[in-house]
Amino acid sequence: MTFALLLQRTLGYFAAAVLFLMMIVTAVDVVGRYFFNKPLAGGFEITEIGLALLIYCALPLVSARREHIVIDTFDVFMSQGVKTFLNRLADVVCFIALSGVGYILFKRAVRVAEYGDTTNVLLLPLAPVVYTMSGMIVIAGLMHLVLIFIPHAEQAALESKELTP
Amino acid sequence: MTEASIGLLAMLILAFARVPLAIAMGLVGFAGLWWMRGLNPALASVTSTVYEAGFEYTLSVVPLFILMGNFVTRAGMSRELYRAAYTLVGHFRGGLGMATVMACAGFGSVCGSSIATAATMTKVAYPSMKDHGYSGQLAAGAIAAGGTLGILIPPSTILVIYGLVTETSIGKLFAAGMLPGLLAVLMMCLTISFITWRDPSAGPAAERSSWAKRFDAMKDVWAVAVLFVIVMGGIYGGVFTTTEGAGIGAFGAFIIALLRQSLNVSVTLDILVESARTTGMLFMILVGALVFANFVNFTTLPSDLKNLVSTHNISPVAVMIAICAIYIVLGAAMEELSMVLLTLPVFFPLVVSLGFDPVWFGIVIVLVVMIGLISPPVGMNMFVVRNMLPELSTATIFKGVMPFVYTLVVVLALLVAFPQIALFLPQALKL
Repeated sequence: MTFALLLQRTLGYFAAAVLFLMMIVTAVDVVGRYFFNKPLAGGFEITEIGLALLIYCALPLVSARREHIVIDTFDVFMSQGVKTFLNRLADVVCFIALSGVGYILFKRAVRVAEYGDTTNVLLLPLAPVVYTMSGMIVIAGLMHLVLIFIPHAEQAALESKELTP
Repeated sequence: MTEASIGLLAMLILAFARVPLAIAMGLVGFAGLWWMRGLNPALASVTSTVYEAGFEYTLSVVPLFILMGNFVTRAGMSRELYRAAYTLVGHFRGGLGMATVMACAGFGSVCGSSIATAATMTKVAYPSMKDHGYSGQLAAGAIAAGGTLGILIPPSTILVIYGLVTETSIGKLFAAGMLPGLLAVLMMCLTISFITWRDPSAGPAAERSSWAKRFDAMKDVWAVAVLFVIVMGGIYGGVFTTTEGAGIGAFGAFIIALLRQSLNVSVTLDILVESARTTGMLFMILVGALVFANFVNFTTLPSDLKNLVSTHNISPVAVMIAICAIYIVLGAAMEELSMVLLTLPVFFPLVVSLGFDPVWFGIVIVLVVMIGLISPPVGMNMFVVRNMLPELSTATIFKGVMPFVYTLVVVLALLVAFPQIALFLPQALKL
């Protein structure tokens, strides 16, 4: 199994499941409230936690496929060599920045765990969610290192299934 | 003022050195906060921004609307929409161009992505226009320009993001986008009519369709129409919140795609993963921009700008025209969403202090973004059309979009001159 496929089948499918759940929960909540006068208890909280997991689990995929928005206005004036050099430099910056953010969020997660924070209705513990978020941000940072040392990974990631409209 | 200028400069250097914009904005914002307020407050500010963006309930409207758009795109309603518009206006001179614009508006509103709309409509409308002897210039121009309409006609992701960043009611923004959207459709049709009046060979009339045929074509588009009415009607009527509307919209689009047998497990998974990736990408930009905005708000730049305007007694309309001009120039060189997020912390306080309505300003910004999407040299929609139609030269496409750039500038001018075009509907609906 290629690296790209592995990412797609793990984080990708997990994020997909979370998004599908968010959609179903919202629809059931609204339909339940208006037609049966029975809103889904805690639907709000599932959506909130879902969003946090969704965004940050998708992040390594975005990084691995170089899908972050980059200003490419001056690309026409750059040779391929300059572009590759700048890309690698940018990858180092991204790695440092994302690892840093992952680390400070990890410290926040430790605090959340100490306080034992939960959601209000369903009493879902928040610490595992914040740990996941911080871990995913670090993994996204590592993706940029992968892109520097394994140039083929970039190509492979792009060749992984592309959705055509 | 100095701190903010250095920050902006550093941001641009990083961005032009191919550092992703989100990271560039976040880094500079963090460094600026560190410099002005110390390391610990800066770290705390970044942590809470990253944390809260994840847990913010109202933000879940973003992935759900993206998902709705991707399901609708997959369901392939574009062909039916084009056919319905074709039977209505195809017999006019330039009618197929008008049908393209109308189908783009309908498809784009539920799809929400101008790139996907332009790409889809190129496949659907271009061959048909080519068969009827349309000039490549007009055909490409109509598709590229029509593709931008979806971000103005609600539901629109860019309006959602504007609403979230500026704390403006998304329901009001959605209502405010409706009439300017219809006005833009009308003006684009008039432009096509004018072009084909000057040069009838650019867009010859097609055969007239019978009413029976028209009703027959309408039957195929009712699903999308119903989806639009439920989502927008529900939000306008206060039946549900925007987030719930987005969830219902995504679910409805899922059902439509299922009924049209355009989904299997693997396709559904792909759509979900792609929507998740787009969401992740957007949120990175959003978080980066929020960190950067925190920094700008601590500098004197916003108040300096206000003072500059008041001491020199510059009229609010002149300021607004200057802001629009800056956006159009910036938009020619920068990705549009990032441009908006980057400049909002600077411009928004100024605009509000001058007495402009934040809802109206949101619509102005979307129009400016639409102009940016089709302005040479880097308008995104132009490139989508060019990549899909290699037989047309870049020069042809440039010439094709220019009349529509002027059209949108006129719409923008009308909106600045008569803010009621945007504000009438939100007031009438008492949102």
